[in-house]
Amino acid sequence: MTAEQLQALLPIIMMASTSVIVMLVVAFIPRHSVISSVTVLGFILTFASLSWTGEVGQGLQVTPLIVVDRFALFYSALLLLASLVITLLSFNYFTKGSGSENQVEPGEFYILLTTATLGAMVLVSSNHFASLFVGMELLGISLYVLVAYLSHYRQGRQGSLEAGLKYLVLSGVASAILLFGIALLYAEFGVLGFGQLGALWSNIGALNGIYAMAGLGLLLAGICFKLSLIPFHMWTPDVYEGAPVMATAYIATISKGAVFVLFLRFFMVSGAFMQEMANNLLILIAIASMLGGNLLALMQSNVSRILAYSSIAHMGYLLVVLLVANTGNVPVSTISESVGFYLVAYIITTLGAFGVMAVRSNMLDTRDTDQVADYKGLFWHSPWLASVLTGMLLSLAGMPLTAGFIAKFYIITMGVEGLKWLLVSTLIIGSAIGLYYYIRIIIVMFMRHDEEPITGKRDRAVSTIDGLVLAALAGVLIWLGVYPGPMIGVIQAAFPG
Amino acid sequence: MIAIPVEHCLLLSVMLFCLGLLGVLVRRNIIFVLMSMEIMLNAIGLAFVSGGARWGQADGQVMFLLVITLAAAEVAIGLALVLQLYQRYRTLDIETISKMKG
Repeated sequence: MTAEQLQALLPIIMMASTSVIVMLVVAFIPRHSVISSVTVLGFILTFASLSWTGEVGQGLQVTPLIVVDRFALFYSALLLLASLVITLLSFNYFTKGSGSENQVEPGEFYILLTTATLGAMVLVSSNHFASLFVGMELLGISLYVLVAYLSHYRQGRQGSLEAGLKYLVLSGVASAILLFGIALLYAEFGVLGFGQLGALWSNIGALNGIYAMAGLGLLLAGICFKLSLIPFHMWTPDVYEGAPVMATAYIATISKGAVFVLFLRFFMVSGAFMQEMANNLLILIAIASMLGGNLLALMQSNVSRILAYSSIAHMGYLLVVLLVANTGNVPVSTISESVGFYLVAYIITTLGAFGVMAVRSNMLDTRDTDQVADYKGLFWHSPWLASVLTGMLLSLAGMPLTAGFIAKFYIITMGVEGLKWLLVSTLIIGSAIGLYYYIRIIIVMFMRHDEEPITGKRDRAVSTIDGLVLAALAGVLIWLGVYPGPMIGVIQAAFPG
Repeated sequence: MIAIPVEHCLLLSVMLFCLGLLGVLVRRNIIFVLMSMEIMLNAIGLAFVSGGARWGQADGQVMFLLVITLAAAEVAIGLALVLQLYQRYRTLDIETISKMKG
């Protein structure tokens, strides 16, 4: 390995060393504030190191496994910032439980955040099945523990254990399905790199042969599970509800974002988008997710579950962009640009919504503050929190002046240019249904009520850190909605080489 | 030495994989669910190794090593959660803890 390649790997190396350092800090200085600060510092330094990777140009292949290009660097930056936000918001979520008898310092939570982010960074830079596998499992296994994290406290949450076990079994099965797909493709074609696979497939044309088709189908099914697309969505609402809210935010943003970025790269580089079978399967999945996600969300009375079903629908919208690739009407750079903007908007919005929930929740309660009823009258006693949540929900619904509008505009434009009328009309119907449940939460927040909140406790004052983070998220949301030019410029510079 | 055709190995691994998947779907005892997942992972290992043998590459075996690592990590976390489950509910039946619906 040359010095140039080592330099390109610097962010991943930094992230891995952060995990080790945080682990040592947890062992020797087990104080929450120290652990949290070291983690934040690690994320910031890793973020800074993204600009020291040297000139990677069209992409530098480091060993056959990892490719460092502007695409990978851009998404690494996005995921690192999201992890940073989650770390900052976690601090108060866990501090609020302190002072009680059996307080345990939540050090492991921070270690797992760093290892999961390392997995996500490997995932967005991978163009080989082995690194895909390693990244996905590094992310997945850290998440199993993050989801079940609150189950060992004495007052413990039942939901956390249940969600952890469900996620472990279902996600484990999905990983196995994905891997079996890879194994069949390997047995059939004898290559593991996306590029080599693409070269082979472009010679063959349409895949025939049972093992090749089964392999591609299983691979897609595994990825759709990780993105919680219908019909592989069963785990999502339960895990969102049971997991501690910061772990939920992590799954919703970083885990799904990283897997989608990987999917985009795989789909384009391997030429899977030219396969008729893959496209037909994904069209069905996208339509089912856009309609099903929005319809099922209507029946929920829990904000976490509503956001879970809404994330199913949003991943369905994103699939539309991938499905226009085979028409040839839209260049790859434009596809990558719309996915990029959509993911940026989606991650900011979801982080904001879960952030408000985290600010109002306490790790020692038997559940997070996530019933719709808990938000009744929020506007009248914490107007700022209610305004931030309103902004986030409007952005999820795709209202103008928010980032979500521009993002949805991109997707509809793509769909129209690709002449995918069925998909575009489903998207519009889905968004219309979606308005109903987003607005319902907003209306509940503006209802006046005089009695005590249902949870029987008043909100504590929002800490400075949480306030600043939420304000920053809301600011970026509006900024991207009103003046998206600079961000689009950044995203345009980053497309897969 | 008689070479075993790659199709036979793949067929065996498909059968093992389906058995494991069936086990995960029908078993109620969490330990058996975890064991069924191990069967699925071993089926994957077999498919990788037979693929590697077919193409005469080491890649299949490297992937097999990674799969074993995954299996070990997954089962370690699985068993930790099983201990929590048993301490709290005195049961290993996954139906008893499934409260969330909808």
